[in-house]
Amino acid sequence: MDTSRRLGQTINSVYSPLSVKVVSVMTMSLPKPVMRGLLSKRLRFHLPIAFTLSVVAAAVFKYTVTEPRKQAYADFYKQYDAMKEFNAMKEAGIFESVRPSGE
Amino acid sequence: MFRSAVRLTCSGVRSLTRTRPQFTAPLAARGYSHGKQETDEEFDARWVTYFNKPDIDAWELRKGMNTLIGYDLVPEPKILEAALRACRRLNDLASAIRILEAVKDKSGPHKEIYPYLIQELRPTLDELGIATPEELGIDKV
Repeated sequence: MDTSRRLGQTINSVYSPLSVKVVSVMTMSLPKPVMRGLLSKRLRFHLPIAFTLSVVAAAVFKYTVTEPRKQAYADFYKQYDAMKEFNAMKEAGIFESVRPSGE
Repeated sequence: MFRSAVRLTCSGVRSLTRTRPQFTAPLAARGYSHGKQETDEEFDARWVTYFNKPDIDAWELRKGMNTLIGYDLVPEPKILEAALRACRRLNDLASAIRILEAVKDKSGPHKEIYPYLIQELRPTLDELGIATPEELGIDKV
């Protein structure tokens, strides 16, 4: 890479009407990449995100599904009259041990 | 019981990342959090020595490569060169090409690693007459 630059400079100085653009050639050697700790780097990035997203997913489920369900049950039973429901069932004749008031 | 299970997995993971090549342990290579931490150069030198054993046998070659591939790193060119020369001593061309496939796979999504390794290993590959999977056309399914 250095020799090609020097060659370009020499040609430019000698043949001044022409100019030679020095380009980096494909034969230039590849730099050494990072080869260690690639998995730990990935985990250090993704695990906190994964953990946070899981907690968020659980929180969203809790507050959009389980809490409304619990509230629905609570609301149902707040005004629930067990005796009234029992009498309605009795008159419907579904019990064996106690018959409707007509029979 | 849970604590013993956690202890087992922790020590298992640590011994996986720090197993010594000769499989007779120098103390620094064990899975302790205290004790001297091995440098990258020492690690590389240990593995180069392992594969440079003149009378290495086929089992040791396979064991060494499998252990090496288990680490969180792509082996340095000098380690791979020693491994390829060990394959040459064992007349094992298949393992030599397999080593190249393994390091390509080990690079995962980092596509710049494999071309760099082939560039660094090119003199050795030419000297030993090892073709790359790409040259053989076996890198595509």
